[in-house]
Amino acid sequence: MADVEAREDTTDRFGLTWQPALAAGILANLERIDVVEVIAEEQFDAPSRAVRALETLAHQVPLLVHGVALGPASTAAVDARRLDRLARLVDRVEPAFWSEHLACVRAGDIEIGHLAAAPRTGATIDATAANLSRAAAVVGSRPMVENIATLMDPPASDRSEVEWISSVLTTSGCDLLLDLHNVHANSLNFGFDSIAYLDCLDPDRIGAIHLAGGCWIDDAAGAERRYLDDHLHDVPDPVYDLLVEVGARVRRPLTVILERDGRFPPMGHLLWQLDRARAALAEGRLRAAALRRPRF
Amino acid sequence: MRPEFETFLARLYTDARLRDRFLESPRDEAERQGLTPEECTALERIDRTGLEMAARSFAHKRTLKVSGRRARSWWKYLETAFGRLL
Repeated sequence: MADVEAREDTTDRFGLTWQPALAAGILANLERIDVVEVIAEEQFDAPSRAVRALETLAHQVPLLVHGVALGPASTAAVDARRLDRLARLVDRVEPAFWSEHLACVRAGDIEIGHLAAAPRTGATIDATAANLSRAAAVVGSRPMVENIATLMDPPASDRSEVEWISSVLTTSGCDLLLDLHNVHANSLNFGFDSIAYLDCLDPDRIGAIHLAGGCWIDDAAGAERRYLDDHLHDVPDPVYDLLVEVGARVRRPLTVILERDGRFPPMGHLLWQLDRARAALAEGRLRAAALRRPRF
Repeated sequence: MRPEFETFLARLYTDARLRDRFLESPRDEAERQGLTPEECTALERIDRTGLEMAARSFAHKRTLKVSGRRARSWWKYLETAFGRLL
């Protein structure tokens, strides 16, 4: 009975990030891949022929558009040209949803090069929400916003990461793309409890999940190490455990994406990780369903 | 948070010479850059190990972007996969 309830309540989807090295494997295994995530910025300068190919892919499998360079967590307004390009891509591909990171990627005329954590203050909550509102107005829909991994605790912060994220969700009206590996990485680097982190999030605001892997790196002196979210390794066991916990908390359907950017294993190994994710989420769903069953 | 503070952080991430000067004497360098006393105090307590490691990680990412290898290979594979349909 619990099985039936879980299936009726949810239509979870599982998929991969599109990568050149995975293209053939993804296309050959679409019966086991429910959804494909494409990186927005990799399409911006693509020839129209290639974008047409992406549209063809969208007819075969639902697509998601994932931005990595908008940088809404900034006191500066997001770049209007980037937003226009994002809007055009979303128009053409018609993804199930689009998403972006809660990160700062540039300031003034300086490109940081990747995702930097903004100082966690009331001012950055308001500025981020304003940027997300601008983005929603141009693109035509609100993005899901993703928590990032960071090697540095941002200075001048006056609240915890999860408090900051929760406030951004409330202020912006956006839902959360919860990257469980980023939670895991930050918990290792900054000593917080991942389960307590999940407990602080409103489960109704979690709409999608990212899974990935990483590794430990040393500082220049070899005196201290931190855990890097590199997307080059398999998903570690604690991240699957967190997915069970998410399944036990979140009742809405979830889209779960496995991110892998390099050192690609055989496609069968990636599909095996997707199967582990399916099993983990189902385990959490079943645990929640069992708790909801009336006891006599 | 002021934009000036955000810009200074971005410079710390991307400018190794500035970062070295800053780590030698955070408050002096922050004051030299015109930051407020509160901002200078926050920077005095900066996560030094994290700053160094984050800066290294960002530099690596910038190098990858310059190479453009990923983007080129993406299209190669996509066009191969859909070549007959295009």
